Amino acid sequence: MNGETSRLGPLSSLRRLFQVREAPILIYIIIMIAVFSVTINGFFSMKNFEIISRQITTIGIVSIGMTLVILTSGFDLSVGAILSFAINIGGQGIVLGWPIWIVYPFMLILGVILGWINGFLITRLAVPALIITLGTMNIYRGITMVITKGVYITPIPSVYQVIGNGYIPFVFFAAVLGFFIYVTLTTRFGRNIFAIGGAEQSALYSGVPVRRYKMIVYIISGFLSALSGLILVGKSGFVQPQAGLGYELNAIAAVVIGGTSIFGGSGSVLGTFLGSVMLGIILAGLTMLAVNPYWQGLITGILIVLAITLDSIRYLRR
Amino acid sequence: MISIENVSKSFPGVRALDDVSFTIQDGEVHGLVGENGAGKSTLIKILSGIYPDYEGSISFNGSVKRFNSVHEAQQGGIATIFQELTVIKDLSVAENIFLGREPMRRFGMLDWGVMREKSEEVLRFLDTLLNPRETVGNLSVANQQIVEICKALVLNSKIIIMDEPTSSLTEHEVHQLFLTIRRLKERGITILYVSHKIEEIFEICDSITVFRDGKHIGTVEKSKTSHDEVISMMVGRSMNMMFPPRTAHRGGLLLSVRGLTRRGEFEGVSFDLHEGEIIGFAGLIGAGRTELARALFGATALDGGEIELYGEKIGYFSHPNRAISRGIAYLSEDRKGEGLMLELSIKENISLSILKKISPYFFVQGSRERELVQSFVSKFKIKMTSIDQIVESLSGGNQQKVIISKLLLTESRVFIFDEPTRGIDVGAKYEIYKIMNDLTAEGKGIIFISSELPEVLGISERIFCMREGRLVQEYSREEAEPEKVMKVLTGGNAA
Repeated sequence: MNGETSRLGPLSSLRRLFQVREAPILIYIIIMIAVFSVTINGFFSMKNFEIISRQITTIGIVSIGMTLVILTSGFDLSVGAILSFAINIGGQGIVLGWPIWIVYPFMLILGVILGWINGFLITRLAVPALIITLGTMNIYRGITMVITKGVYITPIPSVYQVIGNGYIPFVFFAAVLGFFIYVTLTTRFGRNIFAIGGAEQSALYSGVPVRRYKMIVYIISGFLSALSGLILVGKSGFVQPQAGLGYELNAIAAVVIGGTSIFGGSGSVLGTFLGSVMLGIILAGLTMLAVNPYWQGLITGILIVLAITLDSIRYLRR
Repeated sequence: MISIENVSKSFPGVRALDDVSFTIQDGEVHGLVGENGAGKSTLIKILSGIYPDYEGSISFNGSVKRFNSVHEAQQGGIATIFQELTVIKDLSVAENIFLGREPMRRFGMLDWGVMREKSEEVLRFLDTLLNPRETVGNLSVANQQIVEICKALVLNSKIIIMDEPTSSLTEHEVHQLFLTIRRLKERGITILYVSHKIEEIFEICDSITVFRDGKHIGTVEKSKTSHDEVISMMVGRSMNMMFPPRTAHRGGLLLSVRGLTRRGEFEGVSFDLHEGEIIGFAGLIGAGRTELARALFGATALDGGEIELYGEKIGYFSHPNRAISRGIAYLSEDRKGEGLMLELSIKENISLSILKKISPYFFVQGSRERELVQSFVSKFKIKMTSIDQIVESLSGGNQQKVIISKLLLTESRVFIFDEPTRGIDVGAKYEIYKIMNDLTAEGKGIIFISSELPEVLGISERIFCMREGRLVQEYSREEAEPEKVMKVLTGGNAA
């Protein structure tokens, strides 16, 4: 990083690497890939990596929005519900025969509006975001179910499946990822969300427009949920009202395993990406080993508890 | 008698205590002083069982003991009252006093009768009128501290350690606390009084131990020493001046407020602030000074009154960033909660208030940021390894300098400093007074809020006495005598 590194020799640069927040998880991922590649025939193949990349994309995009939210010390339990709302209510446009260039923006705008509602309530009411989004999650899902009456939209025109082909979902994921890594590290907005999560009053007294930035963060989360919905529709080839069920918890898992502090103020988008990759690899490995799927939940759970334990040790050390 | 013999304690990279030996006599009030980072807190944590790993030994009346937990220390007769009180605000006074050792009746039912009775007994002993049924959250900080002392008494503690007990008390409450300490002493309880307020140490302690940089510098009897001697032991140099001489001259009017009111907090507050001026706001805690500052800064809404800034009538600030953009900066009394982001770097903390300026196209200009931050960091001699160091690892005084750097970068003309020297050591205090002096010499104006009367009187041109949300008296520096001001603040009539 600077002149000191070279002066202190290679051992110290190795130590420095370990001090990078994302280093441990990257090493775990490499170890897991190595172990699975040796033990499972066909794990180390382009085909398999394509499958994994497709699997992690939808939740991965949602968890990037979730990272921003958690960095501000917030929570968004409504991401899965927003995803479902966007594609199902927006999907009524498909039923009505609207062209794709109207349906897609419509779906994304629905995501933005629902995110805005979350942000509005959270910044106006003195209630934790966790509780508010628990409420809106049920409201958004409720509306979706009432309007669709639980009916799938299928078949859908094949243009809607283009976005779900091959590596295209992952290209979207990578683009969103790159964009938000850049935004969090180099922009005023990025700096300010870390500050808000670190100490909201301090940020306010330093002149940070706290409310506005919190609103923006929930709007981004809503937008990315809707975007993830488009890709999900593309991959699956139909629109189902139960889409996105459980996404909120998986997204939080990726964020936490990726090393972002649940208390806000520290963490990274890159970490969240690595968190989702790790979960994707575990899922793929265990599936190929034909391990009972119940084990997957168990392992994810252990990883979350471990990550949170590390986080709270860091937090309590103050 | 507590004998501390050759006690050392190290943390990665720091030797917090270095071969410390001294003795605390039974029944005395023993003062422990030293600048921040001198090792006072480490010793407290060893004595109260939080750090069981240390070199050396500690003996009580001749027998060596080592406590492995706070609980063990309590069993051994040592109670510690930490700076951050440990009362539970939703519980009653009696419940707090007996927390963790509630008297029980059959079938595990709480014995409320005994709890109230015994609580009343200790409260009466301390001469307070607290009601055991009162919810602790409704009490003042001073009274919450009394509850902590009661806890210690119910434990039959022989030694009570008090860590910076007066840090959030007003002068009047400090006086009350000292009466309480004297009562405890009469009862034969030994008190280790940890503070960096020299005045207090001299008022209440029988002997004084001085730490510096983890080392024991000396233990002296109060009657055989002087303020100057203790201060020079603390700082390693003699410091005969508490306050730098004021060099600023009063210029034009900066800020003029008339009849500011926020219901339930303050009412009809009017004052003027000129260029080059420091105006001091003296008052007891709860007098409404911080509330006034917050409202003026736009953090809370005003219910009435007028603000005139640089000769122009303005409405109220609806958000702190409006106040900052018009040149008003606020340093909060709550350094950690309202001043800093502890886990961010020095650089990120300092540049936060001016991100707009250094990110004209939304992207932060890294080199310009480093340059600006670096210039302030060297100007204020902030002790650090680099500007990328995490703020959490700095001492209190250096943290305060980080916040002040942040405020100065905003190029404000009006500064509100709310308890800027709370919890920082003598040397750093002096530096902060100097910064304030320099600011006013450049034509800035400072509203200075402090609960330490000597410093308000020491560096302010004019002193406003605030009581129960109203400005009750204004003094020029020449008129303001401590006794007179104190009397006004505590409810007497102006002389």
